[in-house]
Amino acid sequence: MFATRSEYDRGVNTFSPEGRLFQVEYAIEAIKLGSTAVGIRTPAGVVLGVEKRVQSPLLEASSIEKIMEIDSHLACAMSGLTADARTMIDHARVTAQNHAFTYNENIKVESVTQAVCDLALRFGESMDNEEAMMSRPFGVAFLIAGTDELGPQLYHTDPSGTFVRYEAKAIGSGSEAAQAELQDKYHKQMTLAEAQSLTLKVLKQVMEEKLDQHNVQLAQVTPETGFEILSEDKLKEVIEAM
Amino acid sequence: MNSIASRFASTSASAAISRDEEENQVAASMWGSTGGFGNLGQVGIPSFEIPRVPDPTNFLRMHTDDRNDPSCRIKIQHGTTTLAFRFQGGIIVAVDSRATAGSYIASGTVKKVIEINKYLLGTMAGGAADCQYWETYLGIQCRLHELRNRERISVAAASKYLSNLVYGYKGMGLSMGTMIAGWDKTGPALFYVDSDGQRLKGDLFSVGSGSTFAYGVLDAGYRWDLSEEEAQELGRRAIYAAGHRDAFSGNTVNLYHVKEDGWKFIGNYDVTTLHYEGPGNVPGAVPGGYGYDVRTEGLHSRGAATVA
Amino acid sequence: MSPSAQAPIRHDFNPYTENGGTILAIAGADFAVIAGDTRQSEGYNIQTRYAPKVFRLTDKAVLAVNGFAADGNMFVKKVKQRLEWYRHAHAKDMPLHAIARLIQTMLYAKRFFPYYVYNILGGIEEDGTGAVYSFDPVGSYEREACRAAGAAQSLVQPFLDNQIYFKNQQAAPGSPHPAHLPLNQVLALVTDSFTSATERHIEVGDGLEIYIVLAKGRNSNELESLKGVAEVTTASEAIATGERLFVLRRELKKD
Repeated sequence: MFATRSEYDRGVNTFSPEGRLFQVEYAIEAIKLGSTAVGIRTPAGVVLGVEKRVQSPLLEASSIEKIMEIDSHLACAMSGLTADARTMIDHARVTAQNHAFTYNENIKVESVTQAVCDLALRFGESMDNEEAMMSRPFGVAFLIAGTDELGPQLYHTDPSGTFVRYEAKAIGSGSEAAQAELQDKYHKQMTLAEAQSLTLKVLKQVMEEKLDQHNVQLAQVTPETGFEILSEDKLKEVIEAM
Repeated sequence: MNSIASRFASTSASAAISRDEEENQVAASMWGSTGGFGNLGQVGIPSFEIPRVPDPTNFLRMHTDDRNDPSCRIKIQHGTTTLAFRFQGGIIVAVDSRATAGSYIASGTVKKVIEINKYLLGTMAGGAADCQYWETYLGIQCRLHELRNRERISVAAASKYLSNLVYGYKGMGLSMGTMIAGWDKTGPALFYVDSDGQRLKGDLFSVGSGSTFAYGVLDAGYRWDLSEEEAQELGRRAIYAAGHRDAFSGNTVNLYHVKEDGWKFIGNYDVTTLHYEGPGNVPGAVPGGYGYDVRTEGLHSRGAATVA
Repeated sequence: MSPSAQAPIRHDFNPYTENGGTILAIAGADFAVIAGDTRQSEGYNIQTRYAPKVFRLTDKAVLAVNGFAADGNMFVKKVKQRLEWYRHAHAKDMPLHAIARLIQTMLYAKRFFPYYVYNILGGIEEDGTGAVYSFDPVGSYEREACRAAGAAQSLVQPFLDNQIYFKNQQAAPGSPHPAHLPLNQVLALVTDSFTSATERHIEVGDGLEIYIVLAKGRNSNELESLKGVAEVTTASEAIATGERLFVLRRELKKD
C-alpha cells in the first residue's frame, strides 16, 4: 500500500492506478490537523464557531482570525492551513464585489461557494499566459455561511473543490466527535440562541483547553443584520448562559 | 485535401490570430461560476474594446463629440451644475437634474449625486456614463478595501483611486468632473477629481456649465460657521441660480448633507417652484420665491414714470 | 500634374448608419408596456416594413433598441447570451434591476467603440412594480416612469411628459393626478403616440408592436378582450404563477 502511494503521490497531476489523486487526499488530511470549526443553520440565520488555539499566554488571542467576512451577507470559518485561506477568501470577496458591480445585487451563497471551489482546483502547472498560480492543492476547508433569497444556508468546501450544503457541520481535528454531537442535538427549528449555545457546547467537548471568551470565536449571519462577530462581552454572556 | 481541412480547422495558427480578440473575450470572461462579469474579467479589472483604426481617439471624437460636430450621431449626455462645500456642520452636496444631448433636454430627472456607499458621495458632471460607471466601480473597490483592511477607506484614498483610474485613460475621450465628498477619521473631506488627471483638496467647488452662476451665489454666502440649515439653503439657492441662468442646467435640485454618521438626502426641489414659491416650509429658508420679482413688485421700470 | 492628384484621399472609418424608427416604454403600478414601430429605413429608403425593435428577454423583461439596427440586433443577441449564462451559473432568471446594470456594463465595455444604440428596458421588478430603465449609447442609465427614444423622440416625449407626468397640467381641485395610469389608458396613449409620430415623421410607420408585461397574479381580462393580442409567456407554469407577457400588434400607415 505504502509502496504504491510513494510512486504516485509526488505529482499533483498524476492519478494513481486506482484512480486517486494522493496530493489532494493529503491536503484533506491537513484539515484534520486544524482547529475545530462548527457551523449551524437555523431558519433565523447561520451560526459559526471556531476554537482558537492559544498556545502561549504571551499570544494575543484577538489576533487569531479564523472567521472572516466575505460580504455583509456572507461569512466563512476555516480549518487547516489558514494562510492558504487568505488567497481563497480574497478571491471570494472579489467575486462577490464583481457580482455586485455587474448585477447590482448580492451574490448567492451557492455561487460564491462555487467560485471558491473553482479556485481550489486551479493548481498544477500554469500555462505561460496565466498569472502565477498555486503549485499544490490548497490545504484548507471552509464553512461558508450566508443568506440570500433562498434563506440562510451553510456550505462545506474541501481541498478537492467539492462543496455540499449542510444543516450543521464540524470540520478540523475534533470534527468526528463534534459531528456526532451535532447529529444528536441538532433540530430544524432551532432558534439562533440555541444554535449559539449548541455551537459552544460542541466546541467545549472537543477542545483541550477550558473554553472561555478568549479561545473561541462566534459569528452569525442573519437576513436582518447580516454578518457580525460576537464581541467578547456578548460571548461571555452566551458562555455563562450555556 | 489537407489544405482544405486546415483552412477550416479552427486550431490552425492563422485562424487563431484572426479570431484571437473575440475568442479571448468569450473564453476568459463570460462563462463559469466566477464568470459572467463580461469585460470585468475574473480579477475585476475592466478591459475595453478599441476600434482597429490608426487613431481610435479621433474615431470616438468624430462620432460622439457634439460640441465638435453638432451633427455627430452618438449623442452622449452632457451639461450640468454641481456643487459641494465643507463647513462647520459637514459637507453640503447639491446638483441639478438636467441632461442635454445637443440642444435637446434628454432628461430632467437625472440623479447626479452617486451614492458610492453610506459615507461617500460622488457628483456627476461631463459624461453621465463615465461618472456612473467609474463611481460605481470605485464603490466596489472601497468595499474591498474595507474588507481587506478592516477599516473604511479615507476620502483622500478613494478620490486618489478614482483619479489614478481615469488618468490611465487620459486623452482617450473620457469626460468627467466630479467631487468626492465624505466623512472619515479626519472629519469631513472634499476632493475634486477630473478626467484630465487633476485632483484637488478643498473647501468649496462647483463644476459644470452652470458653475460660474453657482459660484456667484456660493462665494457671496459662504462662511465656515454656517448653521446646518443656512448651509442647506445656500446650496439650494446656488443650484437654483445656475438653473435659472444656464440653459444647460435646470429642472430640479437634489440636496444632500454629509455628516459624521454618513450622508443624508435632504430633498428634491423643482427649480420653477423655487423661482415663484421658494422651497416651502424648509428649515433655513426665507418665505417666498427665489426669483427677484418679489423684490421688484411695484418698482417696475415700465411703471416708474407713472409713479411720479 | 494637378495639385489635387498628389493629395492623398482620406477615408474615415465610419461603421455607423441611422435606421430610423421610434421606441417607447411606460411603467404602470403592476405592469409595463414597451413598444416600437417596425419600419427600418436608411436615408429616404425604406429597407423593410417589418424589422422588430422590441425583444423579449425573459417573461418579465423586454428590451427595445433603436439607432443603428446592426448594432442593435447584435447587442440584443449578446444580452440574451449573457442572460443564458447567468441562468446556468446562478440557477434563476436575472431580475430586472440586474439586467439594467448588466446592460450598463455591456454598453460601457464599448466606451471607446460605442454601440450606436439607444436602449429602453421595461418589465416587472422583484417587488412586483412596473419599471422602465433608459440608457444612453455608452451606458448611463436611470429608472423612469416613461421614456421615448429614436427618430420621433422629440415628438413623442413631450406628449408623454404631459399625459404621464401631467407636466403643465393643473389638477382639478380635490382630485389630484393619479400616480399611475390604468392599462387601457396607457395602451391608448401608446397607440396615439405612434399614429401621431407616423403622421409627422417620415422614418416612423408600417407596423406597431406593443409588449405588455403583467406582474404576478395580475388580472389579464382587459387584454384578452382586445383583438390582435397574443400571449408570449414562455414558461408554462408562469401563466398560473409568474409574470405574463403579451404582444399586441397594430398596423401603422405605410406611406
